[in-house]
Amino acid sequence: MAELESAVMITPEGDEPTPATSATAPDPVEAGGGVAEATVEAVAAVEASDEGEPDLRALFEEQALPFMDQLYAAAMRMTRNPADASDLVQETFVKAFAAFRQFQQGTNLKAWLYRIQTNTFINTYRKKQRDPYQGTIDELEDWQMGGAESATRTSGSTRSAEAEAIDHLPDSAVKDALQKVPEDFRMAVYFADVEGFSYQEIADIMKTPVGTVMSRLHRGRRLLRGLLADYARDRGIAVPAGTTSKGSTK
Amino acid sequence: MTDCGCDKAKAELEEFLHDELCREDAADIREHMATCADCSGEHKVGIVLTEAVQRACKETAPEDLRSTVLARIRDLQASH
Repeated sequence: MAELESAVMITPEGDEPTPATSATAPDPVEAGGGVAEATVEAVAAVEASDEGEPDLRALFEEQALPFMDQLYAAAMRMTRNPADASDLVQETFVKAFAAFRQFQQGTNLKAWLYRIQTNTFINTYRKKQRDPYQGTIDELEDWQMGGAESATRTSGSTRSAEAEAIDHLPDSAVKDALQKVPEDFRMAVYFADVEGFSYQEIADIMKTPVGTVMSRLHRGRRLLRGLLADYARDRGIAVPAGTTSKGSTK
Repeated sequence: MTDCGCDKAKAELEEFLHDELCREDAADIREHMATCADCSGEHKVGIVLTEAVQRACKETAPEDLRSTVLARIRDLQASH
């Protein structure tokens, strides 16, 4: 825990070591953002003379705040409810702003924000949630997770039916299924498939080796696939036997 | 070129999907899938799964969260 906290240790002066950043090429599209309203900048300019350091806040608002929707979406997947998700995002931005002086311009701000959010979640919210598997989930065998992972042996002709079924599922079904996937697997899937982070970036965010990221991602996607097949089947959508989580050994 | 076969293709499909393979390996997988209905079907399921997750995970932060965050950042700066 101490190690996790140190990554977001906030000191008012910038003499702490810079938090490790996965220095990938900055994304010009996302870094620009351009959401900062004219009024915000005007206020910042006015306060410039009083505060001495208004540019930092203007910069933060311009660069970091545009990620709010994305951080909130991730927070929803982490906390599974809107109230906690809002609190988590709020806490993330406050910590990020306090540490913003240590952020190296030109490195990946989105990944940096996600790292802070992930740490904050682990240190505060995860404790509340009492997931009995936390900490050992990577070692669980397939059968302990309900067997959903063992089931993707289908023939070529039925795969198109499966793809078709998944493609037509409502978002609510996919959300429900995601919530049933253990947190570490779920977040690996989120970071890779929604945010498009590289395995190395995910490893940095989750503070875990790349091999663990690959395993979490693989198992998370297989679980999800099985759960979605269950869902489709329960609603009479033709999905080949052997794909669902229910048909496999427990 | 020789076909890399289903074993390699299946083993590396996920890395292929996430663009984590080097160019040569990715080319091998692509070449194999061009002639293997089984592996290209598996690839298709993988793509559809990713797209379903992307669709389902779209969220818009509540408006009051935005204003709360702005207010807290300003407070924080003022207190320094």
